Amino acid sequence: MPDGTSEFGIGAKVLRKEDARFLNGHGRYVADIARPKMLEAAIVRSPVAHANNLKVTAPEDSKGRFFTADDLSADCVAPIHVVSKFPGHKGSDYPHLANGKLRFVGEAVAVCLAETRAAAEDMVAATGLTFDALPPAIDMIADAEPGAPKVHDDWEDNVILDSRFEENTDAFKESAVSVTRDFRMNRQAVNPLEGGAVLAEWDAREERLVVHSASQIPHILRNALCECLGLSQNQVHVIAPDVGGGFGYKCVLLPEEIYIPWVAMQVKRPVRWIQDRREHLVTAANAREHHYSVTLHADSDGNFIGIEADIHVDSGAYAVYPHSNILESTMAGRTLHGPYKMSAYKVRSRAVATNKPPIVPYRGVARPGICFAMELAVDALARELGREPCDLREQNLVPVEAMPYTTITGGEFDSGDYPEALRRARGLIDLPAIRARQEAGEDDGRQIGIGFGCYIEMTALQTSAAARAGLAAIPGYEQAQVRLMPDGGLEIGVGVQNHGQGMETTLAQVACEKFGLEIEDVAVRHGDTATSPYSTGTYASRSMVMAGGAISRTCDVLGERIRKIGAHLLQCDLSQTEISSAAVTGPSGSVPFAEISRVWYRNPEELPDSVDPGGVEAVSGFRPEPDNSPFSYATHAAVVAVDPDLGSVEILDYVISEDCGTIVNPMIVDGQIIGGALQGVGTALFEESNYDAEGQPLSSTFADYAMPGSTHLPVLRLDHLVTPSPLTEFGVKGLGEGGAIPPPAAIANAVNDALREYGVEVAETPITPRRVLTAIWKAKQSRLSSVETS
Amino acid sequence: MSDLTININGEHVTANVEPRLSLADFIRDHQRLTGTHLGCEHGVCGACTVLMNGEPVRSCITFAVVADGTEITTIEGFDDDEPMAQLRQAFHENHALQCGYCTPGMLVAARDIVTRLPDADEDRVRLELAGNLCRCTGYVGIVKAILSVLEQRCS
Repeated sequence: MPDGTSEFGIGAKVLRKEDARFLNGHGRYVADIARPKMLEAAIVRSPVAHANNLKVTAPEDSKGRFFTADDLSADCVAPIHVVSKFPGHKGSDYPHLANGKLRFVGEAVAVCLAETRAAAEDMVAATGLTFDALPPAIDMIADAEPGAPKVHDDWEDNVILDSRFEENTDAFKESAVSVTRDFRMNRQAVNPLEGGAVLAEWDAREERLVVHSASQIPHILRNALCECLGLSQNQVHVIAPDVGGGFGYKCVLLPEEIYIPWVAMQVKRPVRWIQDRREHLVTAANAREHHYSVTLHADSDGNFIGIEADIHVDSGAYAVYPHSNILESTMAGRTLHGPYKMSAYKVRSRAVATNKPPIVPYRGVARPGICFAMELAVDALARELGREPCDLREQNLVPVEAMPYTTITGGEFDSGDYPEALRRARGLIDLPAIRARQEAGEDDGRQIGIGFGCYIEMTALQTSAAARAGLAAIPGYEQAQVRLMPDGGLEIGVGVQNHGQGMETTLAQVACEKFGLEIEDVAVRHGDTATSPYSTGTYASRSMVMAGGAISRTCDVLGERIRKIGAHLLQCDLSQTEISSAAVTGPSGSVPFAEISRVWYRNPEELPDSVDPGGVEAVSGFRPEPDNSPFSYATHAAVVAVDPDLGSVEILDYVISEDCGTIVNPMIVDGQIIGGALQGVGTALFEESNYDAEGQPLSSTFADYAMPGSTHLPVLRLDHLVTPSPLTEFGVKGLGEGGAIPPPAAIANAVNDALREYGVEVAETPITPRRVLTAIWKAKQSRLSSVETS
Repeated sequence: MSDLTININGEHVTANVEPRLSLADFIRDHQRLTGTHLGCEHGVCGACTVLMNGEPVRSCITFAVVADGTEITTIEGFDDDEPMAQLRQAFHENHALQCGYCTPGMLVAARDIVTRLPDADEDRVRLELAGNLCRCTGYVGIVKAILSVLEQRCS
């Protein structure tokens, strides 16, 4: 455990090492890199959601500058193909460029190359496309049934995977109260401010393909390039330079990451493709679309008996590499219980193929949907029972004395006090004061409501769980390379990728904790397959747990070698030495790291014969034993004001009480949670990738797709519980995603609380003014009709 | 093609460009000043904000030829600028950036706020920032940083 003595170690608020370059305009994103004789790419994309018999007519004078699926086939480029190990999973190829059939608006059809992007876009405009349009599959519920338009002709239907999770279903008979509701979370685009970006060239001197990509997973991208292009690992060098946000969008392979490098090899010139915002909003409208029909059962005292649910996840047209297209449906099916204890479980979850972009795991993956469905069901049950929703939660959360706890579906909660997070959030937001304020009413005619959302997040997906799911990237031991430099500083290489999380600082803090170094003496290198250990990359809130753990373990290995040299210089026994303040200390004094380095690098004649020839550089790794995942958790609480005439929702107060285990850097932890929470507000209130009945996207600019802005979450208070995980180095738990999970649940519950006298329940995100007014209108209609019939 | 004379970051630049070329592409691709970023290319996200004759403009929806005869300041051109130095330090101390992509445009907008509205309170700062999107930070650090610079400049 950290002892808190290192100024730059675990727990210290260290300002970020990476800030200076960004503040001065010196960041280097893919679009900032230009190469001599570089060509720019623009992509011809499908204008329809579903069609066959695609024929492409190249623009005039485009020979050698225009490429289609036929060119890829002629060169035997293999398509992306991901099949899960779950029985019954239907696999399909994901063509890099559409080959005869079009399956979503925006699907890539052809690549145009020119000296400038504008000229390449002229070529796109001059490209001819003919096809026979087909009726699209757009509605994940209707189109899961037989007879719907088929996204893949050789499939029996559009159901990619039909999973059933059933435990102890006889217990449902004991229920005294049941509530049944339908919930929908609509499709979103992830929208990192930097979209996808690829710059590729064949380096003739090195005889290898060099690919710069805005990626969270450079090593996995290298695997995919080798698999699709038939290259050896030594022939591919992937660099993820500064990456402008990812949030999961960049933890899957984009087709452009294969076909742009291939095109660059054909033309023997560097080729750059930079996704523009419209391309992103159309082709990356690929997150979150879930529908739940839920029945929550309880006994007459409000103890949860269990949950029944039928879940549909709109998984789009293809399976993405490496995480597949069933990550969300299976996660939703298995963990709908959230942080609650229950004795019965019956959930069916279907991943459904539609003529939309393929689903990707956006921050929180399925959990924002899971949390929304479960937490709204809990509030509905509370209303049914006439109970305070907060009290019902407290009664049913897994209690601290039950930890570690095995869930109804076999999950392992490692540690934490879930009810305490709820109690603290309730105290901070002052529930009694809000109830009193509601009694008094508002002068402006608005309605005040309070809502809660509790969640758990399994962070740092582990080997066994990933292997069971048959993912194409299974994380094993995460490794770090730690090198004492000739001046006594430290250089660390990791395979995870930093794209805003501050890892150049927080991972350095781990080494500072171990060795007592100054933060400026530690450099963290990442995002380059040529210089870092192999890693499945950054996703699943895993980097601090795994790469941080790896650095800690590697520092142990390196520390012993450093101490051996130190013991020799101090003329003492190894067992008498220790490392602190970047020096080896023994009975007679201490030797700074710089002196150890001098001897190893510059004056090896002073080394003892027994020195470790491995020197002052080590690679080692970390994985929890057993390979279970640490669970983070939190309660979010929101107070909103709803205008029943305008349908508008304003957040008046917002509180988060969370536990991510041992905190490495409080400033960065807070930043991750706050940033995540605002994305969750976007899900709750603003963001929606709309489609018409033909599968045409209706949200293709930031004018149609509303992003949360600077005025939308003015008040946010954070509170931290710290329960170190028993599974990890220092007790850290993953943190990056959690903030985005419960805001839709907490805010929707607050809106429904505000409108409880109207008998209104909103059950769909985003909660737009139109949806609020429609819900109020429907509640009025139903009251009127019930008056008429009585 | 059109002739163009611009002063960028104190440097006199002449060029002959296509009329359809955006100021952002001129700055980034022709002048290789890549600190100015493109987030949406339709004038909403604010990542491409630069100063034209001291006023913030969206360089993505400004034609390069419109900038003929003007003075342009990009994020690379504030080395001796006191408010920008204060903002950079305040952004650093308040964790006002994560991935860094919106940061140059955010800083240019922030500089406009602290120099134009010395009395701005938090609500006003948030309102003024509504033209700049940040996907990472939730704006809390950005707002704090700007307020701290406003306070610093008052005293």
